[in-house]
Amino acid sequence: MNALFGGLTHFGALLFFALVVSLTFAFLSKRGIAERAKYTLWAFLAFLLVAIGIGWLMYPFSQ
Amino acid sequence: MKREVVKGTQMMGIVAAIAGWMVPGLGHLVLRRWSKATVYFLCVGGLALAGLAMRGGVFGADAADLFDRLGFFADLGAGIFYFLAHQIQVAGPDVAHATGDYGTRMFAAAGMLNFLIVLEAYDIGRGGDAK
Repeated sequence: MNALFGGLTHFGALLFFALVVSLTFAFLSKRGIAERAKYTLWAFLAFLLVAIGIGWLMYPFSQ
Repeated sequence: MKREVVKGTQMMGIVAAIAGWMVPGLGHLVLRRWSKATVYFLCVGGLALAGLAMRGGVFGADAADLFDRLGFFADLGAGIFYFLAHQIQVAGPDVAHATGDYGTRMFAAAGMLNFLIVLEAYDIGRGGDAK
């Protein structure tokens, strides 16, 4: 288990979290493979966009 | 492929909800929703195990304040992963580092996701029209 997850970078953890949560939400809210795949992709990209956006917004306060 | 339908009753909903809480995805397995059961088990289990591998903290029942109580409630949602957390995470938590703190949030997120999954299992079990 540690070999799988122990070496995750912070960005790797973000990617993993975004993928897993997007996939779960897709299965909870959509029916059919195509709809679920589309929802997973959009939610995953939205997670990344928001996380990177918030990261950039907070950057000046870290100086 | 035609889906095998389990006739919905209140009791079936409660059984599916309890099974789904104990082992993520088991509630859907009881209801013969094979693909959902597999995905939910892998997603919630993966998130919980990642949180523990990153040495995230797990909140106990002896919560000191409201934040800890909310954390305990969220963690409890992970079912068997919560009860086995100390056996799985032999090195113990390390929340002094950012990675451990992220692990704490990941484990809590696994629990909260499983609560949503349990609600869906209950709805399907009692005959609701879940996706």
